[in-house]
Amino acid sequence: MSHDLYVQLLDLACGVLLLTAVLVLWRRELAVIIRVFALQGLALAALVAVLAAHEGSIELGAVAVGILVLRAGVLPALLRRALAAAGEERRETRPLVNVASSLLAAAVLTLLGYAVSQPLVALAPSPATQAVAVGMTVVLIGFFVLVTRRRALSQLVGFLLMDNGITAVGFLTTSGVGLVVELGVSLDVLLAVLVLQILTTRMRATFGDTDLDELRELHD
Amino acid sequence: MNALGVIGGVLQFVLVVAGSPFLVGVMRQVRARLEGRAGAGIGQPWRDLRKLLRKESITPRGTSEVFRIAPLVLVATTVVVAIVAPFVTTASAVDSVADLFAVVALLALGTVALALAGLDTGTAFGGMGASREMTIIALVEPTLLVSIFALSVRVGSTNLGAIVTSTLQDPARVISPVSLLAAVALVVVIIAETGRLPVDNPSTHLELTMVHEAMILEYAGRDLGLVEWASAMRLTAFLGLLANLFVPWGIATAATPVALLAGVAAFVIKVVLLGVLLSAGEVFLAKLRLFRVPELLAGSFLLSLLAVTASFFLAQPH
Amino acid sequence: MTHLLLLAPVVVPALGAVIYALAGWRRATAWVSAASAALVLATAIATSAAVVNDDPHTVLAGLLRVDALSAFMLVVIGAIAFLATAATPDHLRTEIIAGRASSRTAARHCLLVQLFLAAMALAVLAANLGMLWVAVEATTIVTAFLVGQRRTRPAVEAAWKYVVICSAGIALALLGTFLLNYASQHTAPGAGLNWAELAASAHTLDPGVTRIAVVLLIVGFGTKAGLAPLHAWLPDAHSQAPAPVSALMSGVLLSVAFYAILRVKVIADAALGTGFARTLLVVIALASLALSASLLLAQRDYKRMLAYSSIEHMGLLALGAAVGGRLAIAAVLLHILGHGLAKSVLFLGSGHILQITGTSRIDQVRGLAARQPVLAGCFGLGVLALIGLPPFSLFASELGIARAGFTAGLGWAMAAALVLVLVIAAALVTHTSRMVLGAAPDGPGAATASPRMNVIAGAALVVGLLACAAIGVTTGPLHPLLSLAADLLAGTP
Repeated sequence: MSHDLYVQLLDLACGVLLLTAVLVLWRRELAVIIRVFALQGLALAALVAVLAAHEGSIELGAVAVGILVLRAGVLPALLRRALAAAGEERRETRPLVNVASSLLAAAVLTLLGYAVSQPLVALAPSPATQAVAVGMTVVLIGFFVLVTRRRALSQLVGFLLMDNGITAVGFLTTSGVGLVVELGVSLDVLLAVLVLQILTTRMRATFGDTDLDELRELHD
Repeated sequence: MNALGVIGGVLQFVLVVAGSPFLVGVMRQVRARLEGRAGAGIGQPWRDLRKLLRKESITPRGTSEVFRIAPLVLVATTVVVAIVAPFVTTASAVDSVADLFAVVALLALGTVALALAGLDTGTAFGGMGASREMTIIALVEPTLLVSIFALSVRVGSTNLGAIVTSTLQDPARVISPVSLLAAVALVVVIIAETGRLPVDNPSTHLELTMVHEAMILEYAGRDLGLVEWASAMRLTAFLGLLANLFVPWGIATAATPVALLAGVAAFVIKVVLLGVLLSAGEVFLAKLRLFRVPELLAGSFLLSLLAVTASFFLAQPH
Repeated sequence: MTHLLLLAPVVVPALGAVIYALAGWRRATAWVSAASAALVLATAIATSAAVVNDDPHTVLAGLLRVDALSAFMLVVIGAIAFLATAATPDHLRTEIIAGRASSRTAARHCLLVQLFLAAMALAVLAANLGMLWVAVEATTIVTAFLVGQRRTRPAVEAAWKYVVICSAGIALALLGTFLLNYASQHTAPGAGLNWAELAASAHTLDPGVTRIAVVLLIVGFGTKAGLAPLHAWLPDAHSQAPAPVSALMSGVLLSVAFYAILRVKVIADAALGTGFARTLLVVIALASLALSASLLLAQRDYKRMLAYSSIEHMGLLALGAAVGGRLAIAAVLLHILGHGLAKSVLFLGSGHILQITGTSRIDQVRGLAARQPVLAGCFGLGVLALIGLPPFSLFASELGIARAGFTAGLGWAMAAALVLVLVIAAALVTHTSRMVLGAAPDGPGAATASPRMNVIAGAALVVGLLACAAIGVTTGPLHPLLSLAADLLAGTP
């Protein structure tokens, strides 16, 4: 693959990653959010595939396929199942910060992500490390979604957004941290989502709702 | 100022001034057909204009010069943009005005003039329309600036002609994230700025929702004709900018008859295509509630900002 | 032999989990849990002996590694797990009789606790940061259903908060892990995330990247250790989990997460100088102390009271780690063990109180001493141990941290911490004396329940307190292990 094409494709995948993160913040319909999340998984897999092709690494290619299956297939499917069980509550109705303000907040987070990733770029300037800022921004936006959204499912997506961003940073900075650890990380994420999905079901069984405003029993 | 620029300027002037009502006609016709109506034909806006221009203009009592001058300012600024922007040729008749900031400022000037006129009438609708328009423009103008600025970063110049030329030389640039993000942001603000669905409905006079129409409610006759005409030209100019910033192919780079002819044809095709897409899209859209509009615009502002940051922090090919 | 020793703490509980999965909860399996914990403790002691006399060992292609610090943490895990699992059968039996649990819940409880033990053992034995992360996140996953076991509204809420906050916090640690990996691959290719090699090559790491990585790692693992600012899950989870699980979570889980911070600090100190991690940890520690002091003053729930006290002690540990140096680190390690023992005794005791009185509100428990002398005595003494009265070991360790702090020039931080600790002690004593002392109430509920305490469950409480007091008097056989581990962390042998 020529260098120009590599950079083009890398940037494109990063652009989609960023755009999908913003769209999650933007849209209210949970079904759309899940679809956008699946698209982000696709972009992440594409990113890793581009890196694999660039380095000619078969192992990394296999990892890309794994990411595709997990993040564009299994996780969205789990989320959809949770949504199907949710019944009426298909919209994020009252986020703590309204959508317009959270979009502007995301603009600030972008700049923050850019600032934070400066030392990382300085260590080893390359097209891949320059794109780390995108991963950082996705992490920050994910954290923001996690903190400000009230639907259980939106929080779940926020968590996964963070995780996608972290994975992107991981692969952009180095080509992974060893297969055992990577498998462990993926398994942990999958299990965490499964646990949270079961908890949403239980929450509905006990509260009749997944609006986290209902979580008011425990406080000081 | 060179020959190409002068010829281009004349051609663009003629095309935009004469053609823009037809563009509106085409868009209305497409919409009518998609909705199962026969439609009035693409010449109808011209016929309307002719009728309006022949009529005497009436100014409401108590209005000042602002009300009378506003349509002229609107038309004048739009015509200047139509002449200098790189629509048919990459060179510009007045090169220093074909600048990102100058063009955006000119377009904003027209909008502000109209908003002032709306306030000047002193009626409830005029004031309401003006205040709504200002709410929208407060987010639209920065977005417009920032998103075109994102494109200009790699060129190193804010001259629109230079941006278009450099895209011509390096076509791969179009699929970069910078372009894509900026394109999405621009589409959204252009829809808002030209008062199309889902931000504003150009074909309604329902007082609860109208924005643009509310401002010009008091105009009649010749003045109304000018305002309508200028709106059509603005729409054409915006679509032309959108088309040439992202898909500049076909634009004339030399002053040969063939190249110029190709430039004119490409411009007409691109703008009409965009117009058709826009009106076809409108059929499937409902108007957004007014207080959801800032959300849409904040989103597009964010996208344009992302485009700028991406143009700084992503690696450039080669 | 060493292979077997090293693998046993992970494999034995995993086998225990398999037994529960296959056989379920019955008379014969009730004590499997305790037996596996006892085995873990035994192997931990054997490993410690081996480590003291020998160099660190690695097995499984370098995935697991044991040095003095890991061995010490294994001892902590084994000891507290033994206490908690010994009290479990009685707890579960009472719950089943009261109709709050079925034998299926009980089997699942034991299965998850075994997996929990295996994950914690894996965390302290992991030879690299990545494996450690995987193991710590695994503890979150297996304990989620333990926290939400009762399926009431508060329990489900606590479980949700627990998983979401801990996973998010630990995700930050993952980001930090990736960045550290990036820094290390750049300067010392091949070192990867291996503790030993990272520590050896830490001085070459790029300071810019390492700084970001260290902040993320400390905040991330700090979440799991219950340190501010992401501590919100802790009081909820500790108050809703069944008593033996609370004991394990507070006694060991927090310390295991803190163990990660200790390891990271070694690297941070070598790469960035001692100042950076110290400032960060002092801020976090004082914030945690201030927070727990303010929320303890008007606390109305005794399980939450214990939970906030855990935040306090984690704050003290962070303060000790911030001071650094041999004395402070040895005191921190001793504090981990002492706090684990005292806190698990208290949580087990609070479980009994809850089962007897049916309420977790402080103002509804009165005159415990008159009704349940042994239980009340253990609870009262446990609180005294917690506030750092001699002869309990927390006295010695808090004294050690304070002394080292004043010597290291952190006088102002230590003074602030001491004031906060005094406030906390006053609050704890006031609340506890209200529960324990006074005449037994004769209102409703007083006559209904006063079953005798199970002998073994009572013995667990007494043994825990005795152990806590014993290591307070003399660290005895632990001494060489502690000093080796302190050498390891303080950097200068």
